[in-house]
Amino acid sequence: MIRDVMNISRCKKNIFRIFAALFFILAGKTAYCGSGGVIETYKNATAPFDDEKLVDPMLSFSDHLVLVNIKYQGGKFWTRTRKDKIERFKCSKCHNNQDVNRPEAAKIAHGDIRLVHGGQEKPLQCFTCHNKDDRDFLVTEKGVIIDMDHSYKLCGQCHFRQKKDWVGGAHGKRVSYWAGKRVVRNCTSCHNPHSPRFKKRWPATYSHPLD
Amino acid sequence: MDIRKNNENKNQKESSPNQTTDKKKKFGRRDFLKGAAKAAALGSVAMASGCGTALLPSKEERELRWKEYFKKNYRLMTVSEKEETVRRLERLAKIKKDVSIQMSSKAAIPGVLYGYAFNVTRCEGFMECVAACVKENNLDRKSKTQYIRIFEMEPGEMAPAAGNGKYFHEVPVEGHFYMGAQCFHCENPPCVKACPTKATWKEPDGIVVVDYNWCIGCRYCMAACPYYGRRFNWHDPEVPAKEMTKKQHYLGNRMRARGQMEKCTFCVQRTREGRLPACVEACPTGARVFGNLLDPKSEIRFVLKNKKVFRLKEELTTDPKFWYFID
Ligand code: HEC
Ligand code: HEC
Ligand code: HEC
Ligand code: HEC
Repeated sequence: MIRDVMNISRCKKNIFRIFAALFFILAGKTAYCGSGGVIETYKNATAPFDDEKLVDPMLSFSDHLVLVNIKYQGGKFWTRTRKDKIERFKCSKCHNNQDVNRPEAAKIAHGDIRLVHGGQEKPLQCFTCHNKDDRDFLVTEKGVIIDMDHSYKLCGQCHFRQKKDWVGGAHGKRVSYWAGKRVVRNCTSCHNPHSPRFKKRWPATYSHPLD
Repeated sequence: MDIRKNNENKNQKESSPNQTTDKKKKFGRRDFLKGAAKAAALGSVAMASGCGTALLPSKEERELRWKEYFKKNYRLMTVSEKEETVRRLERLAKIKKDVSIQMSSKAAIPGVLYGYAFNVTRCEGFMECVAACVKENNLDRKSKTQYIRIFEMEPGEMAPAAGNGKYFHEVPVEGHFYMGAQCFHCENPPCVKACPTKATWKEPDGIVVVDYNWCIGCRYCMAACPYYGRRFNWHDPEVPAKEMTKKQHYLGNRMRARGQMEKCTFCVQRTREGRLPACVEACPTGARVFGNLLDPKSEIRFVLKNKKVFRLKEELTTDPKFWYFID
């Protein structure tokens, strides 16, 4: 099963390597014939644009937000909180310096969690990410403690490129508004940290052939 | 009437280049319509007298319809005329279908030019965008009209036409990628040039829109579009009242009728309020990026600057504001 998953991802990656080469060639051509028009228009637009007042600042996002402690090209931005969405939080309810020796331990332990994350040679362990001494927090490989609302920092230590794109706006997604306060989804609201690949599923709808 | 017209022309500076031709066309069409409307009115009176008064539209409705029938092309309306027509349409929706809609005629936001980018690596073919678009834009449920197409592509293909646009199985399929297509809102739109009644045009924020009431259904624009971006209503669209999106825009998701052309409007009813188009909001993978091309800090500008981007059929010089990119 794991091997299967890895194969898919490798296959997909290779496709895109070939693609990348193709597009690079095409991009060269584009640069040659695509000057002028909308490309020139946007390249000439360098003045800052203030969209802050376009959206009512009193509009509350249905979720609670935390300030991301990195800046993007436009300054501050926010992400949705996670702790209030984790059913088992706080972890310290059970993990509190004592052995978890409640009778229903077997039932309440995390048998539903299957780790399908990381290379086959060096799969990740629970404590690669979770802080052993205080389960309410995450921890980096260098021992930096991270709040669960800021899990992008945890992921970012290994997935540097994706995090950079996430900050800039090419990975992940903005919530609800293109203008006003920038709020984006956190990594873990799309990826299950324990098996981050998206699951296969049926599409939401289907299409008729065009007339 | 002529005095009023002069005033409008003063108020309506933005559409000045085409004004003289617009006016000519308008009068031509109006003369024709006047005759047609008289005939229609006669017909309905005759019918009503045969069927009893229960079927006769109320005086209010008749008045509203009459005014609607003789309104101008949206681009030539003054701000207050725009306001009047949306109020009339709201009222008519209430009288005829008993739905309470809120219709906007909000103009483009200055300093905004919308752009869209689609991440080919990221899309998994879930088609949440399509479902959200159908709902948001009140698309005909009966003929299953959709503005967005998602194509399942073999590696190496690059034109959506070569992909499978009607897959229905678990996605994603190994070794395939997915590519979405919709109206690309070209800066140099061939559809606009093809329209004989000036019923379609590009707004100052770059959105190509249709004045449904001015469309005569000739479908020249559909033939002119190299991206299959336009959809035609062969029948009156059917949308159950309780599923209808009530927040509407005159140029966007208000109800169309048989014989009218429609298309993606980047959800003008949402985007001019600062919101994301429904497809962008619904996308579970973040494959869709939307924003202001004139804003150096926007996500779309980040993508254009840092990613390998390409557009479809660039050689046609349509200059679409819809880019594809890969990671
Ligand atoms: C309802 C009680 C309960 C809660 C709440 C809970 N756990 Fe656990 N957890 C258990 C039990 C029982 C086990 C298995 C027994 C053990 O190994 O100590 C376990 C085991 C673990 C392990 C396996 C490693 C180990 O041997 O300790 C990790 C990691 C872990 N939990 C993390 C968390 C995190 C993170 C949270 C909060 C998001 C959390 N747990 C919340 C009951 C709980
Ligand atoms: C890649 C880092 C990583 C690894 C490895 C990892 N976790 Fe987690 N885990 C997280 C993050 C991040 C969250 C917070 C998720 C969120 O934001 O919803 C989390 C949440 C949890 C939770 C609470 C959410 C839930 O699903 O109930 C439990 C329990 C948990 N982890 C247990 C474990 C156990 C047991 C292991 C080892 C088998 C493990 N984790 C391995 C990163 C990791
Ligand atoms: C300690 C390093 C480490 C951390 C922390 C980490 N990952 Fe990973 N992750 C990996 C490795 C290694 C792989 C496998 C890379 C590969 O296949 O090229 C991987 C793969 C992935 C993949 C691709 C899965 C696939 O099958 O293609 C995703 C998505 C992902 N991680 C998301 C996350 C998210 C989200 C977090 C934070 C909750 C995170 N990772 C934290 C090391 C890490
Ligand atoms: C809007 C949802 C979303 C968010 C938020 C998101 N990702 Fe992803 N990510 C995806 C999708 C979709 C893929 C394609 C994965 C697949 O095929 O399963 C992906 C792929 C990845 C991969 C695999 C390599 C690649 O680029 O394809 C990594 C690693 C990854 N994401 C890390 C992250 C990290 C780290 C964050 C937070 C900083 C993050 N993601 C936030 C949707 C998201």
